[in-house]
Amino acid sequence: MTAVPLGAAEISELLLTASAAGGSAAAATVIGAADTAGIRPGARMALVRHPSDGTTTRGSLGDASLDALAVHHLDAALDDRRSRDGIRTIEAPRGQIELYVEVRRPIRELIVVGAGHVAQPMAHMGAMLGYLVTVLDDRPDFATRERFPDADRLIRADFSDPFADVVLHERSFLLLVTRGHKYDFECLIRALRADPSPAYIGMIGSRRRVRATYVQLLDEGFDRASLKRIHAPVGLDIGAETPEEIAVAVAAELVMLDRGGTGVPLRGVERVAERFFTDDGGEDTAAHGVETEP
Amino acid sequence: MTHEDDKTLAEALAAARSAGHACVLATIVGTRGSTPRKVGARMLVDPSAGLTGTVGGGCGEAEVIESAYRVLETGVAERVHVDLTEDFTTWSPAVCGGVMDIFVEVVGVTNTPATDDKAP
Repeated sequence: MTAVPLGAAEISELLLTASAAGGSAAAATVIGAADTAGIRPGARMALVRHPSDGTTTRGSLGDASLDALAVHHLDAALDDRRSRDGIRTIEAPRGQIELYVEVRRPIRELIVVGAGHVAQPMAHMGAMLGYLVTVLDDRPDFATRERFPDADRLIRADFSDPFADVVLHERSFLLLVTRGHKYDFECLIRALRADPSPAYIGMIGSRRRVRATYVQLLDEGFDRASLKRIHAPVGLDIGAETPEEIAVAVAAELVMLDRGGTGVPLRGVERVAERFFTDDGGEDTAAHGVETEP
Repeated sequence: MTHEDDKTLAEALAAARSAGHACVLATIVGTRGSTPRKVGARMLVDPSAGLTGTVGGGCGEAEVIESAYRVLETGVAERVHVDLTEDFTTWSPAVCGGVMDIFVEVVGVTNTPATDDKAP
C-alpha cells in the first residue's frame, strides 16, 4: 500500500488512458513548496474515475497527509464541471504547498451519420481536432477505409436503429449528414431521447428541409425546447458551399461551443481600431500594459 | 490541451523515459491577459531530439528553453514568469500583452515501480 511518486510519463499516460476509455481523471503536481514543507516540486499524484469500476489513486506527493488533502482537491475538481486547470494553494501542516491541478474528461467523440461528400472532410477535421471519429452509413461501399483513412471507427448501421452499435454520452458530438431527411429524422428522434444527452446534435439541411423536419418532430410529440437543442442548419455562417468549406464551418462551430467563443470575427470583438485610436489617426493614451481579456 | 496534444506529449515522454535520458517539461500553470497559449499547454525539451509541443513560440519560449537547460544541469525545478507586456516600439517579440507562469522540471529519469491503491 505504499504510495510512490510517479513520473510525468506515467501520469500523462494515466490521464490519456482514462479519457480514451470514457473515464475522467485529475492530477496534482507540486509546483511550489515552502522550504519547511520537505516536499519535492515535480511530485505527482492522480485520481482516476473509471467509467464503471470506481476510483483509483496513483502516485504520491511524498507525504500521506498532503496526499489526503490533494485527493480532496482532485475530487472536488472532478465533481465541478466548470473547474479550470490551474494552481491550488494548500496549507499543509509543515508549510504552504502550490499544486497544479489538471482534469481530463472522457474523450470527445464526433459521430458522423451518413458517409457522403461532407462526411469525408468532416472526419478528417474531427481527427485533426482530436475527436475520436466514428462514421456511420447503411451503404457498405460508402463507410470504407479508403474514403475515411483517419476515422477511428467505421460502422455499417441500419438507419431504423442508427446508434445500435454506438454509446452516446455527454461528450458525443453528432453530425447528421445523411442522404435523406427521412434518415435524419430517425436519428434525431433517438438523439433527442438519448440519456445522457449528447453534447451536440447538428443536422445539415436547407431552411426548408430543417423546417419540415421540425414539423415532423412536433407531430411526434417533441416540444420547442427540444428543437432548440438541434444545431440546424449546421455550422457558422462563413458562406460555405463546397463539402470542405461546410466541414470548416461545422468544425468552427464545434470549437466555438467547446471553448466558449462567440463566432464573431475577432476584429469585431476586440475593436482595436475603435477602442484605442481616435478618428484623427492618433493613438489613445492607453498603455501597452497587461490588458484584460474581453 | 486537446486529446491529440496529450497523446503527442505522452508518446514523447515515454520515448524519453525508455531512451533513459533526462528531458525537461515546461507547463503553463497560470496566465493573465493575452498570451499565445493558455494554462495546460506543455513543451518537452529533449536535448537530443528537440522540442515537442509549444508554450507559445517566439513570445517568451526562448526564456523557457534557457531555463530548461539550467534545470537540466542543476536538477532543480524552476518557475519562469514570462512577461509579454513589453513596449511595442522595442520590436521585441514579447508584445502579446499578458504574463505567463511556467513550471519547468526535469522528467524522464525516474523509474519508480507503479503500485495501485484503491481509494475507499
